[in-house]
Amino acid sequence: MADLLPWLRLIGQRRGRLWVGALLIALTIIAGLGLLALSGWFITASAVTGLAFAAGSRVAFDIYLPGGGIRTFALVRTVGRYAERVYNHETVLRLLADLRVSLFRSLARESVMARARQPGASWLSRLTNDLDSLDTLYLRLIAPTGLAIAITSALVVVSGWLYGLQAATVTGVMLAGALILATWGVFQATVRLTRQRVDQLESLRGMTLEHLEGQAELTAASARDEHSRRLLRDAHTSSEDQARVDQRIGWFGAGSSFLMYSAAVAALFTSIGRFQADEISGPVLALLPLAILGLNEVYATLPEAFGRLGGTLAAAHRLNRDIAPRGEPTTCARPPKNGSAPLPDAVLSFRNAGFQHPGLPPVLVGLDLEVKPGERVGLTGRSGCGKSSLADMAAGLAEPTHGKLFRNGYGLQDGNEQWLANVSYLTQSTQLFDDTLRNNLLLADPDATEHDLWNVLDTVCLGDLVKRLPQELDTWLGAYGRQLSGGEARRVALARALLKPADVIVLDEPFTGLDASTRQTVIANLSLRLRGKTLLAFAHAPDALPEVDRVVEL
Amino acid sequence: MSTRPPGRAPESARAWLKSLAHQVASYRRGAIVAGTAAGLFTVLQMAALAYIIDRAVISEWTAIDLLPWFIALLLALGLKAIAQGIQAHYMARASLAARNEARSQLTNAWKTAGPVRLLDESAGTLAREWIDHVEALHGYFARYLPQMSLAVFVPLLMLTVVVWFDWLAALFLLLAAPLIPIFMALVGMGAESLNQRHFEAIGRLSGQFLDKVRGLTTLQLFGQTEPAAELLQTRSDDYRRLTMKTLRVAFLSSAVLEFFASVSIAVVAMYVGFGLLGYIEFGPAPQLTLFSGLFVLLLAPEFFQPLRQLAQHYHDRAAAVGAAQLIVLRLDHLQSAGGQPEDATFTPITQPPACTRNIMLERVSVRFPDGRTGLSNCSLVVGQGESLALTGPSGGGKSTLLHVLAGFIKPTEGSVTVFCEPPGTEPFAWLAQSPYTVHGTWAEHLRLTTPTASERAMIRALEAAGLGELLRSRPEGLHSPVTEAGLGLSGGQARRLSLARVLLSEARLILLDEPTAGLDRETEQIVLAALQKLTGEGRTLVFATHHPSLLGLAHRVLTVQAGEVSHG
Repeated sequence: MADLLPWLRLIGQRRGRLWVGALLIALTIIAGLGLLALSGWFITASAVTGLAFAAGSRVAFDIYLPGGGIRTFALVRTVGRYAERVYNHETVLRLLADLRVSLFRSLARESVMARARQPGASWLSRLTNDLDSLDTLYLRLIAPTGLAIAITSALVVVSGWLYGLQAATVTGVMLAGALILATWGVFQATVRLTRQRVDQLESLRGMTLEHLEGQAELTAASARDEHSRRLLRDAHTSSEDQARVDQRIGWFGAGSSFLMYSAAVAALFTSIGRFQADEISGPVLALLPLAILGLNEVYATLPEAFGRLGGTLAAAHRLNRDIAPRGEPTTCARPPKNGSAPLPDAVLSFRNAGFQHPGLPPVLVGLDLEVKPGERVGLTGRSGCGKSSLADMAAGLAEPTHGKLFRNGYGLQDGNEQWLANVSYLTQSTQLFDDTLRNNLLLADPDATEHDLWNVLDTVCLGDLVKRLPQELDTWLGAYGRQLSGGEARRVALARALLKPADVIVLDEPFTGLDASTRQTVIANLSLRLRGKTLLAFAHAPDALPEVDRVVEL
Repeated sequence: MSTRPPGRAPESARAWLKSLAHQVASYRRGAIVAGTAAGLFTVLQMAALAYIIDRAVISEWTAIDLLPWFIALLLALGLKAIAQGIQAHYMARASLAARNEARSQLTNAWKTAGPVRLLDESAGTLAREWIDHVEALHGYFARYLPQMSLAVFVPLLMLTVVVWFDWLAALFLLLAAPLIPIFMALVGMGAESLNQRHFEAIGRLSGQFLDKVRGLTTLQLFGQTEPAAELLQTRSDDYRRLTMKTLRVAFLSSAVLEFFASVSIAVVAMYVGFGLLGYIEFGPAPQLTLFSGLFVLLLAPEFFQPLRQLAQHYHDRAAAVGAAQLIVLRLDHLQSAGGQPEDATFTPITQPPACTRNIMLERVSVRFPDGRTGLSNCSLVVGQGESLALTGPSGGGKSTLLHVLAGFIKPTEGSVTVFCEPPGTEPFAWLAQSPYTVHGTWAEHLRLTTPTASERAMIRALEAAGLGELLRSRPEGLHSPVTEAGLGLSGGQARRLSLARVLLSEARLILLDEPTAGLDRETEQIVLAALQKLTGEGRTLVFATHHPSLLGLAHRVLTVQAGEVSHG
């Protein structure tokens, strides 16, 4: 449960809205409860009075007050429901934005190094799902539970006042039982199954991908049908678990509503004696059981919400883990400046540097490399040889796990901020945003002029293409806009990297997806544009490099 | 947001959902019967409750006198709870069965399409359909569909009972009745547009958020995270305002339902009250008793309850129809003739002289439905133990020839035999150049295609594929997961793993499509050495390639160009 705390605190920042929303729900529920109870009271009172009339006695009976009450409750219930839904939906949308903006800020605060690599697609989709399950935390879980407890308590107090301690105790105990069954009971019965659901689906997804990508090989080996059966069996197991959760929610819900109705029965049973003793009137006798029936509306939503709580907790746990600063590589295990001084004029100097992901064989061992100001160095190597790790280290996104690295003469994190500001890094994966082309470019340099933008687009041979677009620089890119080809997107990313006013340029596979002739033109343009800057370019082969002074094979 | 396919989809999606519903009809019927029974017990419960209050207040019976009635009431409550539990059971089962059926339909369609056509679409998309889109059907079968019937049966049941006791009160409930179909439509339309709006807004918001998170490193590299956070905030606010505008209207439809439910209760209460007071002297009013009056009042909210529940489940339907559209499109696409030549009339060659232990193609032609010619009139004999290279321009038919030999594509004309049998009858090994997601341990992975492989053989194959070092670095060797600590294999490593599977296979025929394309030099050398070894073992190899060293390895090189084979 502690996993939910940070999120509850975040949701709590909208305390005002939450209280108003809860009050609106409470008003609706109380009106519903009141409508039924008062109607029951009115009918019973009418029956008693009617019999008295028939017997000839003239009893005074005010029909206007209860009549008015019934009408008011009916109206409040309708209007309250509408207002509650509009208001609370707006709250949910606000919370949704709050959660995302705050999560984004925490992710952004985390040092670039701690995250190391671009998040994978499956991580992102899990993040979305996890956030989705937190969005309705307030509306599905907190508000109904709080209200159920509050209204139940109020009802018990009122029944203590009207019917005495005995009736109040009996109803109180039974209603508490119903409440516990609908919340804690359901949670306990489902938490194990719902907690593992995400992992189960992830592993199922892995197996499905394997089945699909391996179709040819599986078919060739006559193993496809067997694999297909296994896949269906695993999917069935996962769905079966979910069905089990649904069934448990159903049975616990039924049990809870049985207890709740039984409380009404018990209330009636215990208060008949008081009626006979003339301590309460007939209409009052009808009041409590009917009010309890009205509680059903509050209780009915609880089992479903608590049946999903296990999943919500797991989601919160994953989110907490993902945004918690991981390992803090900034802590200085070694002194910031150590050992022999680097070359005074080296922009970058790797000394016997190595890189290794925890628990895996090193991807880079014993690298010595000096890059002087204005030097253009190309680095090539086969896949998996540590090119991208080296690029990350050069750009200041990672530190070597072995040996030393000095940037502008500084070791480790000293001056990392300045370094990041002075280096422009084109990562291996192309990352454009759902926004206009202009805004995508301006990220690199918010002060760039129109001229600068066209200039850099010409450098990557995109100027003509963009001029032909109806909205030119204001063309929207991404999911809702123009779909760029892989090569076009790569060039936009390259243009953006070039636009950043930096002295050191790190390009990782800059020409992915570019055809040979475009590549030649871009290489020529680059040589002009990058004059005087320090360049590190990484590629799988020398012909995929821009013009460089020397090539280092990794 | 991006999941809206064009065209005729809704009808066929609904038809498909209906056919699934038909398949799970027994579970659904169970749910409806149990739900109706729960409604019946509700009626009994309310009757007992009203009777007890009536007797206690009017006839002044004691609690002891009323004990049998209390027991009856508890019995009704218990039976109702059991019926509700059973209903939940059947609803969950219905959804389970429907999802299983949908999944096996998709898996069968994958099989029908064959490996070549299947991966026209990315495996990720297909997997998402198979997992997430099928999951999206859950609410429809588990909640919406049974509720759809219950929203008719249960109110009718209540109404019949109320008519029996007091037709005038029933009339008040029915005040709303001509409106019920309108309710349903309103609720439907309202909920539909509400859902669309709501989900669209949420979709766009998550999209914006994801977009920023995906590019977080980029934003950090350019020092632009705070402006991005502010942009996220303003865009969220914009979407919210826009959505709320529609939601305010959309919620009105459910408010109408709510209004009639409340008003009906109020009107019934007033009518019964005045009737009991003797103010109403026509119709059944003078016969009203406290029992019948209370009973009718208690049934009034229950009359509307199923409808209100249906409104709540409406978004399940919208979600299912959306998912079903995509699934149906996929099923149609995969099952349509597409790129697979139909009516492959395979005539086994029975003449003994022709049936040697060879691979024989006789006058084989492949024409795709879109008019392209894959192969034309191609005859070929590959001897057992021969190593044959196919070369030629891309699109010339090399892959098609391999696919024919594999049995992935059936020839439009002519005949193919592989060791006297139709292609694909005897297991063979296949090495493709596509990447492969690896799931599970090394041993599990290798046993995918060679289930009986021994540990020694597996280690030998991995060593030969140049993965020995990587394997030794893993704590549990063959039984440790291939991908650990969230780190996948590099492209080259994944290819070597595929090679290890081929090396492990004992198949006589090995087909390889561009085995060295896009490989780094080291992996390339490993592949060459492995193929050399396989040739030496007397296996039959057919591979498409441009690679000079590979061509040198072959006993014979054929050029495939414009669907025709020539000796080159």
